[in-house]
Amino acid sequence: MNLFRSEEHVERWLAGREPGATTSVTTLCALAHAWWGDRLSPEWVPHTGEQNQAILDGLGLTGPFWALR
Amino acid sequence: MDGRDLELRRATYALFVRLGRAPSAAEVGVEVGLPEADVHDGWGRLHDGHALVLDPATGALRMANPFSAVPTAYRVEADGRSWYANCAWDAFGISAALHVDGRIETACPDCGDPILVEVRDERSSDESLVFHCLVPAARWWEDIVFT
Repeated sequence: MNLFRSEEHVERWLAGREPGATTSVTTLCALAHAWWGDRLSPEWVPHTGEQNQAILDGLGLTGPFWALR
Repeated sequence: MDGRDLELRRATYALFVRLGRAPSAAEVGVEVGLPEADVHDGWGRLHDGHALVLDPATGALRMANPFSAVPTAYRVEADGRSWYANCAWDAFGISAALHVDGRIETACPDCGDPILVEVRDERSSDESLVFHCLVPAARWWEDIVFT
């Protein structure tokens, strides 16, 4: 899970390997805050799969690649 | 994973944040008043529940996501301290978990050029960058270190 200068850099880095999924850093930042925002809360309990899938769905990260199960 | 395990996890994370590095089982044991062996047992259950990740060879902490116990390509400064993150997602996750602004230092895996990103008010200072995730979500925990 890496950060790149641009999609062209991703393609060159893949060097013909099957690509995964590429998103904007804006989406990544929003994803990180939704996913990790409660991680240090004293009341933290593990997210359910449904909760995590809802976070992905809410950011438009849908389809087979983003399906947790 | 029961309430005692969650308390052990909470103490482990709190110490990771305070120290700026991964705590040892002995250090966590002192914090929570448990023998080192009990900390390892609890960490094992938390590992099985994907609440942290242990080094399979040593039993030491490898990840307390988003924090990494070992140096990585993602260095994050926040709240006057610094940590390594496991990946790009986790690098933004450190500011998110601490609820503070931060600064990420890494390099483009393709060209090697340095990338410096500020996280301010939950936004990236450079919105031209892109994130690539190679492994499909359903397979992330097959090999979380590779993911």
